[in-house]
Amino acid sequence: MLDPYLALLFMALLAGAFALFSVTAAPYIGPRRYNRAKLDSYECGIEPSPKPVVGTGRMPVAYYLTAMLFILFDIELVFLYPYAVAADSLGLFGLVAVTVYIATIGFVYFYEWRRGGLEWD
Amino acid sequence: MNLLAQQDGMTHTQQLLADDPIWLVLLKVVVLFAVGVVLTLFMINWERKVVGRMQQRPGPNRTGPGGWLQSLADGLKLAFKEDIMPVLADKKVYFLAPVISTIPAFVAFSVIPFGGEVSIFGERTVLQLVDLPVGVLVVLACSSIGVYGIVLGGWASGNPYSLLGALRSAAQVISYEIALGLSVVGVILYAGSLSTADIVEAQSGGWYFYLLLPSFVIFVISMVGETNRAPFDLPEAESELVGGFHTEYTSLKFALFFLAEYVNMVTVSAMATTLFLGGGRIPFLGPVNGWIEFVVFIAKTLLFLFLFIWLRGTLPRFRYDQFMKLGWKVLVPVALIWTMIVFAIRVFRTTTGAESTAALVIAIVLGFAAVLTIAFMLPDRTEDAADVELASSYPVPPLDLAPPGRSRKRIARATPDPEPALTGKED
Amino acid sequence: MTPLTPPPIDYAAVAPLLIVLGAACVSVLVEAFLPRHQRWPAQVALSVVAIVVAGVTLGVYAGDAPAQGVITLGSTMAVDMPTLFLWGTLLVLGFGSLLLIADRSVEPGGAFVASALERASAGAAPGSTTGPSGVDPEHVDRSYGAPGDAPTMQTEVFPFTLFALGGMMAFVAANDLLTMFVALEVLSLPLYLMCGLARRRRLLSQEAAVKYFLLGAFASAFFLYGVALLYGYAGSVRLSAIAEAAVGTDRSDALLFGGLALLIVGLLFKGSVGPFHTWTPDVYQGAPTPATAFMAACTKVAAFGAIARVLYVAFGSTRWEWRGVLWAVAIASMVIGAVLGLTQTDLKRMIAYSSIAHAGFLLLGTMAITQAGTSGTLFYLLAYGFTTIAVFGIISLVRTADGEATHLSQWAGLAKRSPLLAGVMTFLLLALAGIPLTSGFTAKFAVFSAALSDGMAPLVVVALVASAIAAFFYLRVVVLMYFSETPADGPTVSVPGAFTTVAITLGVVVTLLLGVAPTLVLDWAGAGGFTG
Repeated sequence: MLDPYLALLFMALLAGAFALFSVTAAPYIGPRRYNRAKLDSYECGIEPSPKPVVGTGRMPVAYYLTAMLFILFDIELVFLYPYAVAADSLGLFGLVAVTVYIATIGFVYFYEWRRGGLEWD
Repeated sequence: MNLLAQQDGMTHTQQLLADDPIWLVLLKVVVLFAVGVVLTLFMINWERKVVGRMQQRPGPNRTGPGGWLQSLADGLKLAFKEDIMPVLADKKVYFLAPVISTIPAFVAFSVIPFGGEVSIFGERTVLQLVDLPVGVLVVLACSSIGVYGIVLGGWASGNPYSLLGALRSAAQVISYEIALGLSVVGVILYAGSLSTADIVEAQSGGWYFYLLLPSFVIFVISMVGETNRAPFDLPEAESELVGGFHTEYTSLKFALFFLAEYVNMVTVSAMATTLFLGGGRIPFLGPVNGWIEFVVFIAKTLLFLFLFIWLRGTLPRFRYDQFMKLGWKVLVPVALIWTMIVFAIRVFRTTTGAESTAALVIAIVLGFAAVLTIAFMLPDRTEDAADVELASSYPVPPLDLAPPGRSRKRIARATPDPEPALTGKED
Repeated sequence: MTPLTPPPIDYAAVAPLLIVLGAACVSVLVEAFLPRHQRWPAQVALSVVAIVVAGVTLGVYAGDAPAQGVITLGSTMAVDMPTLFLWGTLLVLGFGSLLLIADRSVEPGGAFVASALERASAGAAPGSTTGPSGVDPEHVDRSYGAPGDAPTMQTEVFPFTLFALGGMMAFVAANDLLTMFVALEVLSLPLYLMCGLARRRRLLSQEAAVKYFLLGAFASAFFLYGVALLYGYAGSVRLSAIAEAAVGTDRSDALLFGGLALLIVGLLFKGSVGPFHTWTPDVYQGAPTPATAFMAACTKVAAFGAIARVLYVAFGSTRWEWRGVLWAVAIASMVIGAVLGLTQTDLKRMIAYSSIAHAGFLLLGTMAITQAGTSGTLFYLLAYGFTTIAVFGIISLVRTADGEATHLSQWAGLAKRSPLLAGVMTFLLLALAGIPLTSGFTAKFAVFSAALSDGMAPLVVVALVASAIAAFFYLRVVVLMYFSETPADGPTVSVPGAFTTVAITLGVVVTLLLGVAPTLVLDWAGAGGFTG
């Protein structure tokens, strides 16, 4: 009797092996013709921006807001799933509890919405 | 033995799968992997052909019978293209990003219940690799991990377009994943389980796509957003961002991103089939031969895949702010409210005794849902922006610059001529 | 489908906590839905009403609460006599701090940063022009918005305060370590943010917030590792279960004491006990003064309430094993606080070191696993909290054009300029030093006598010496105020508005009362022990 997660691991290993093989083999299978312009970052033919994005690049703060809201809601989801599975045995008490829970996160959501945290321009 | 397993709280499917010998598991892994790759190749080709037809042209028709080997040929050709590592790239991350995005795509694929009970080389089993008690979560988790591949790939490329594409893609996937996850809650509630096989089993009384119609609609919309497909394909909006996060990728690394994207598409379609269309079940028939179920399952999945293609052929791309607005300000609130309504209804129907209290509590919950609805409907308060006094002397265009009005030609057409020309229009 | 029975909830017992947390949620909604100019009055009213109602509920419940306490919410909360006393302390101190936070007269618009829109309208980012020295080169404060508008502040501090207060209340009542951890985070996260919201000296304030956050995150991680180890040892996170496991088995003690060590590091950090105090001076100095007052008074109460409960309930039976280490910690804290306090030139930093020394004294009381030790600690926390709030209230009044004048030299000769303020400050500093007829003396007496009767005589001697050293730097400020020449461009003393006046008066009166007639409060503090 195999642990079911072992099968997932096999799948991950197979996919990983395939992918690793592909990325490793790619430089050897394909041709190599050196050209400096080819190694520059592609910016539609104009000279690439002098400062490298990696390391010094900053991301707009709106993405962080979205990411934080995502974490909040993802955690909410992770708690809603077990409730959904056990909802029938939890009955009214569970319903009240989950409503309070959703409401609490809802307040934060309202706050971010009303204060323009979800606006993009 | 059966009794023993039953006591462990395993379902029939899980028992059958637990009894699989290791060769069968490995066989399934390989076949599943092949199915993923073949479906990808087929899907690319099918997409090009269908979109071609929609645009009154034949699409690829040269390579292989009916042009069906075109994507295979393209894939092989990619392998023989030069592999470029840009100078500004972060070498290790650039190298690993395609791998990171490929693995979860296939892992998510492995909890899909493709079909019922069959016998393979004399071994009773189910056409499914694993049936985990947390199956749905695995799919969601994998799609979250897949984002890492995209973000890291875009970041490591050392290219502003890639970085922007990656950021957009990440923001998009995580935004729509919330709506996706919330729409699944209703299904889980009614099925009482997170296991994919159980969810299929629970739909023998009726498919959830009409029992939980709002959930289904939200799921379908957000699955398109989740997979970065048109009309939500902003990360690779070629008119804005060249190729998005994979601008700098070539050769097989590029092919892996492509593969992951299409496998993800197949996975969400298969999930939609599992969650809302009763998996491989045929209406009014109950369980049939496992292989037939497999065929039915694939057919239903292709239905969703066709939807993807159809959308791509039909709809123009969203603007980014509209797109985020749809996700956070429409889908998420609607999904939240619908989830609460479903909870309330379900508890009302299962509560026995204490009906009056139940009714009261449920009325309160529904009332809360109504309040939520109203709160979401409230118009956004516009905080009147203060007059910004520009601090620098850098030349900027005036802030009150109005967009140009209608063109002169149109104005001319719209304003009636003061002196009507002598064309005899009076009569 | 077998229905599960929900755990019984004693709503009357936990009502104060629910009220405070509920009000915090409502105040988030206020932030979301009210227009900008209505937020400040609404938030102040809401917070004050919430704290008062919670206090009244608490008083009504405490009137006929069972003496041995109740354990409710599925054994995650222990509402016993120390809990009730600590809740009362937290609510009263929270009320005082809230008044300081709400004040908008001392600093026009309040000590907290202006709302984002006003900052935008003020032109270039104000944070960038204000250096860490606190001197604004342009010397133009444009953060008040358009000329006609009343200056406002970022009213999010009110929900922060309420959430932090709710977290603190849950923290001291937590009967298992997981609840305690959640409460720890609920109380910490708002505090990190509040530190970074000072209207003046933005860089200093932001630096304080980041330091506090990073070190606090470390401390939380320590705490969590400790919880994991203790769970491995006892198979439960309940405090009483850990105590039972420690008595009943011959398991390896490595997990138990490793867990205790990590756990207590996390808790000592929150209580700013040396040598885990490194954040304290910077944060006390950088945070807006009302937030510092809140942090100094209430966080101390919460942290030591929790330390006392953990040591008493979970580790009371093994106290002979760990006491030696805590002796060292207490000595380190007292010595660090007293000696480094001598070298400070900034008043807020000095109070910070004083708080480290006081933390050492408090540790004496918590280490004595006796009824007297518990009641002494509780009394000390109440007394210290009120004195601290009043001290920070006074500090916020002495100002120059650049904001608060916290450098010691600026306080020279202040008695000539404002005898009342100097007198009040002198009284408060004497209370911090522990001079008779102030609450500080009574509190120290209660704690030290409890420690003495529990066999910690050497530690008490060290504590007395440290008190004497610390008294020196308090008295130095007094001498400076009364016997020095006033500098030409010295600070001015603002006339406080009603809120600050009430807060300072409250602190001073309680400090005096607890010094003159402490019996009633000592009786309350000694009404009952911890329940596990």
